[in-house]
Amino acid sequence: MTQAGYGLALLLFLAIPPIAHLFESIMIIHMHMQMPLLVISGFFIATFFQKRYPGFFEKWNEDGIPGILLFSIVFSYWMIPRTMDEALTVPAVEVFKFISLPFLCGVPLRDSWFKISLFVKKIVFATFTLLFFALGVLYIKAPVQLCNNYLLIDQLTLGWGFLTMAICFMIFIVYYVFTEKEAT
Amino acid sequence: MTTVNVGASERSLKQKVEQALGVVAEDAKLSKSYMTVAFIALLIGGFLGLFQGLERAGLIQLPSWFTYYQVLTAHGILLVLVLTAFFTIGYFYAGLSQVLGGILPHVRRMAWIGFWLKIVGFVCAVIPIIMNDATVMFTFYPPMAASPLFYIGLALIVIGVWMCAFGAFINVATWRKQNPGKQIPIFAFFATGVFVLLFFGSIGVTIEVIMLIFWSAGILETINVMVSRTLFWSFGHTLVNIWYLTAVSAWYTIVPKIIGGRRFSDTLTRVVVILLVITNIPGGFHHQIVDPGMGEALKYMHVFMSLAIGFPSLMTAYAMFSVFERTGRLKGGKGLLGWFKKLPWGDVRFLAPFIAMAAFAPAGAGGIAQTTNQLNQVVHNTLWVVGHFHLTVGTSVVLTFFGISYWLIPHISKRVLTPQMNRIGIIQTIIWTVGMLFMSGAMHYVGLLGSPRRTSYTTYGDHAVALGWDPYMILLAIGGTLLIVGVIIQVYAVFNMMFFAPKGKTEFPIAETEEEPQGKKPALWADRWGLWIVLMLLVVSMGYVIPLVDMIVNAPPGSPPIRTW
Repeated sequence: MTQAGYGLALLLFLAIPPIAHLFESIMIIHMHMQMPLLVISGFFIATFFQKRYPGFFEKWNEDGIPGILLFSIVFSYWMIPRTMDEALTVPAVEVFKFISLPFLCGVPLRDSWFKISLFVKKIVFATFTLLFFALGVLYIKAPVQLCNNYLLIDQLTLGWGFLTMAICFMIFIVYYVFTEKEAT
Repeated sequence: MTTVNVGASERSLKQKVEQALGVVAEDAKLSKSYMTVAFIALLIGGFLGLFQGLERAGLIQLPSWFTYYQVLTAHGILLVLVLTAFFTIGYFYAGLSQVLGGILPHVRRMAWIGFWLKIVGFVCAVIPIIMNDATVMFTFYPPMAASPLFYIGLALIVIGVWMCAFGAFINVATWRKQNPGKQIPIFAFFATGVFVLLFFGSIGVTIEVIMLIFWSAGILETINVMVSRTLFWSFGHTLVNIWYLTAVSAWYTIVPKIIGGRRFSDTLTRVVVILLVITNIPGGFHHQIVDPGMGEALKYMHVFMSLAIGFPSLMTAYAMFSVFERTGRLKGGKGLLGWFKKLPWGDVRFLAPFIAMAAFAPAGAGGIAQTTNQLNQVVHNTLWVVGHFHLTVGTSVVLTFFGISYWLIPHISKRVLTPQMNRIGIIQTIIWTVGMLFMSGAMHYVGLLGSPRRTSYTTYGDHAVALGWDPYMILLAIGGTLLIVGVIIQVYAVFNMMFFAPKGKTEFPIAETEEEPQGKKPALWADRWGLWIVLMLLVVSMGYVIPLVDMIVNAPPGSPPIRTW
């Protein structure tokens, strides 16, 4: 329960208007810091729901696949430039962001990650690595402004952020493949 | 695998005997060579520092063929690059040899190649400094341009360091392969952390130096000054923390043994190393806090990055005093502070690192002040900053190195520390401490009064404010004079212990960990260095993508090479 408390505190902290404004004022920090932090807050809060409603998770997320699918869909949705733009201009979308990322991404991720098989984990990891590469190229190469609220330079920065993260993921994959080979 | 682990069964009888005696001769020779260079650098760099201090105080005037700024450049290169790099590598290689059962033969070869690359690089860097062709100070900020030879020398030094880093990785990885299910020994864990930082921290500066070679040779017409400074500080601050982590390794693993205690929780020690490695590199931004071209929101974010390094330091402070208290009480210390008196104050191997740790309290606090945007603007270009790094590097780190030398040099030389030498060490430590109190204290204070750094002696046309700095400059000169006495004693002690002290066996004193609860499994997860490196790289990309993209895409016209002297 302590963990859930920390998660809730983090969520509330991120929702304080000046904090939210600071995070959202720079495109890359909006997507690569605020959004993951919202997911992390949900990841912590998940313990509350898991203890309170064990039957629900048992019934709807038995093998972890529905949860990880929900996570992947919602998280990918928030990587679309337009969704970010709308979060800044349409209050309802901003509220949806603060609900969907913790509760539809963080919570199912926590519940699913320990249920899904290693094979599925690898697929999820590889998919997101490829997605990050693709989005990195998209944001760097796009000749026009993809978001009304952010300048072209912000977009370029985000693109490089995606690419460097994808490179880090690749390094981890290589490291994992080698150490796994050693372990077997 | 064709390599042979000298700790494995195939090792020769000679090596077994040497192992039993406590040191592998070839490894000892390597460490001795590194230590020799380190302390010669201390001697020369120390004298250059004295000349500088005396000129800065207005007491002497350096000749036109070897100016204040040449001395400043050489002093910096010798002490912040040569002394520290050679000591760190010599110390960790001696320790790796001890805890991993010897350095692998091909790794030893790599360390020797690294040694000579660094020496050649250093000679290449020094020649233009002496010829007044590289009077760019040790930060070598463009657009001040040195001779290409200077930058080539720096590049060779970095490659030499990389050789040693990869050698250490190979040695540790081989040990792990041969010891499945075992934790990396704590000393080797520290060494891995330091070499990871040395390698990854120096990638940015290597890119910078390669660009500078082409730029100063006239192949590139202009250089992006802001990008260069950013790449430099991604390395500069990491280097500071590499020395610090080296000192911390001795505080955690060696000092408890010297005072007759046990070291702090093994798992928490490893967490401290991991945190220092992960959070370190973007911390360098606070050195650029008054640079133009970076938005305030970004600077604010980077304050967090810099302060993150403070957290493991606070953990270290707690851990150290916890060990001291526990050991002091075991020795019969009673009451609130009775344990404090029970510590071995007469042992230089404890006294020197203890003062080093104590100095880190004001040094760390000063660092936190400098990290803060507004406070930094008050002190940024003043002698305060010079005082700060003489307290951090010149005291916290160097005094720990001195303390280490009193057991490491006898250990690798198969000699012993005599009571007389211990007494000399105590005197040296006191002289050093008093000298640094005068010098660093005066620098801090006169910095607050506005006295600039990186500037030779001037009264600004006998301006009243500038004349008001003079009394502090005299204190600075007194401190510098005491420090050179300290340097001479220290260098004498090192070479005496290396060649003339009585023969005997001195152990490499690594403490046992405190008693763990029964059935507690070793924290094998801590040894997943691949994961920590990826996390470190993620933090680096978080820190650097925004400013670098901005500096490159919105770059102003670059600068041609400029010779300001």
